[in-house]
Amino acid sequence: MTISNDKEFKSALAGLSPSQQRQVAARFVQAVFPLSNDVRIKAALEAAGRAGISDAELAIVAQAANTARVESFTQCGREADWSAQVGHFVAKAAVACVKPAEGGGNLAWDAAMQARMARTCQTVADGVGTENREAETQYRILEAFLNS
Amino acid sequence: MTASLEKGIRVLKEVIDAPIASYFNSCVHCGLCAEACLFYTETGDPKYTPIHKLEPLRRVYEQEYTLLGRLKKMVGLSKPVTDDELDQWQELVYNSCTLCGRCSAVCPVGNDIVYMVRKFREGMSASGHAPAGIKGAVTRTVTIGSPMGVKLPAVQAQMKHVEEDYGIPIPLDAEGAEYMVMLSSMEIINFPEYLAAIAKIMHQAGKRWTLCSTAFEATNAGIQIGNSDLAKVIVSRIVEGAEKLKVKTVISPECGHAYTALRWEGANLIGRPFTFDVKHIIEVLGEFQAQGLLKTEGFETDRLTFHDPCQLARRGGVIQQQRNLMNQVAKNFVEMPDAGYMNWCCGGGGGASAIEEGEELRLEAFKKKKSQLDVVKPDRLVTACANCRIVLEEGLEHYQMEIPVVGLTELIAEHIPEKGA
Repeated sequence: MTISNDKEFKSALAGLSPSQQRQVAARFVQAVFPLSNDVRIKAALEAAGRAGISDAELAIVAQAANTARVESFTQCGREADWSAQVGHFVAKAAVACVKPAEGGGNLAWDAAMQARMARTCQTVADGVGTENREAETQYRILEAFLNS
Repeated sequence: MTASLEKGIRVLKEVIDAPIASYFNSCVHCGLCAEACLFYTETGDPKYTPIHKLEPLRRVYEQEYTLLGRLKKMVGLSKPVTDDELDQWQELVYNSCTLCGRCSAVCPVGNDIVYMVRKFREGMSASGHAPAGIKGAVTRTVTIGSPMGVKLPAVQAQMKHVEEDYGIPIPLDAEGAEYMVMLSSMEIINFPEYLAAIAKIMHQAGKRWTLCSTAFEATNAGIQIGNSDLAKVIVSRIVEGAEKLKVKTVISPECGHAYTALRWEGANLIGRPFTFDVKHIIEVLGEFQAQGLLKTEGFETDRLTFHDPCQLARRGGVIQQQRNLMNQVAKNFVEMPDAGYMNWCCGGGGGASAIEEGEELRLEAFKKKKSQLDVVKPDRLVTACANCRIVLEEGLEHYQMEIPVVGLTELIAEHIPEKGA
């Protein structure tokens, strides 16, 4: 299967089971994880990537990932540090990966969007504008997942 | 001009107007304002009594504008206001006051204490005693146009992100649009989903709307620090943008002080009426709901409660709209004690959340919100202010309360059918 745009991407993700969505979402976030390197997020991604993860295990890593998300908010009135903001969106993407299946919606799509935000923050921080190839990277990740 | 004590005292003399004079004369020292202030109720420290926070201003009033005070000053019996004293008062005027207005609401003689704090901040700022965090926000507002240093390319990145995510175009500089949507830096940096929600709602309602490249930032650091000149500059940018695009209504985002600055103080700051209306996004959603333009499907079934942002509910009088909106999408909406007009502040308004050294006190004051939440035990907390949202999330995290926080505009947008969006 070849994916060449967001419509195909979103549709393919929506067709996955919650467990599969979690696994592929973890791969999307792994692609931007080096921009953060928060150990709590690493644990969440490892858990999300496992096929047989239990709800109890998910709850524990979700809590830790959420703490990382809350701690990385930029407060009102403080100077925006785009490098630091990368970490916030990586954490937000990780939270999407490990949220409960019930009410999770298209969690892989949510994680993909947050991962793209993380990449955009990184390019802004690097002073090279907002253009990047994260969407294409995610298409290839999903193709590999579907074809595996 | 460089800040100095001399300049600060001069400004304090200038800001003392007839209302402030009458307020100081009317105070009956009943202490009710203390019980209304979460910094007092949660610490028990009398220095956080709201009227006490104004003591240096009261002394300037007495020494300059009362006969007895002037006589005492002439014979050296009055205590002058000093730099050291104003330095000490910084904590009381900024860190421990969110301009929430609860003290003004309970005063039995009608003293608008928050009005006095706002005026006192003018002198504090002029004397160089505003907190470094807010000063930094002001500097960035002057040099960059945003208190958090957000520039147009960052907004355009968010626009692109939303367009990819939802497939709905985000208009920029569309002349003749009915609505000009403002954002707070917080929404640009932390909550891109707000812009997405606006796009979905406007698309479904069939309204023409736009962002403005020269006036996308709604936050007004001038109001927070207490600098009317700066507040005027920020409002003027918005007015110029709105008039250039010939919009009918400017929508203030989910940001409390942005709303107060533009809706209630803006026209006075620039010295003339606006040529457009100013509404908070919740007011606009309320209108859409009343006109049948807000068509949602499905309901949230978990237990939801609503935190009223002080500037929206108490200072702005917008109370029923958010409840009507909640009831449109929630089956199990419960009210916290003191909800609505007398709701308790999150603890981070009025610039307080930008003050790093005030964090410990903020978390102490958050116990009030915790106690409200403990009564209703919600599954999720909804609000309509991006700053409240982060302060609430931090407080909940600190006290290990697992209650997710969501924005009301986003919650509504989530119930708009895909075909409608």
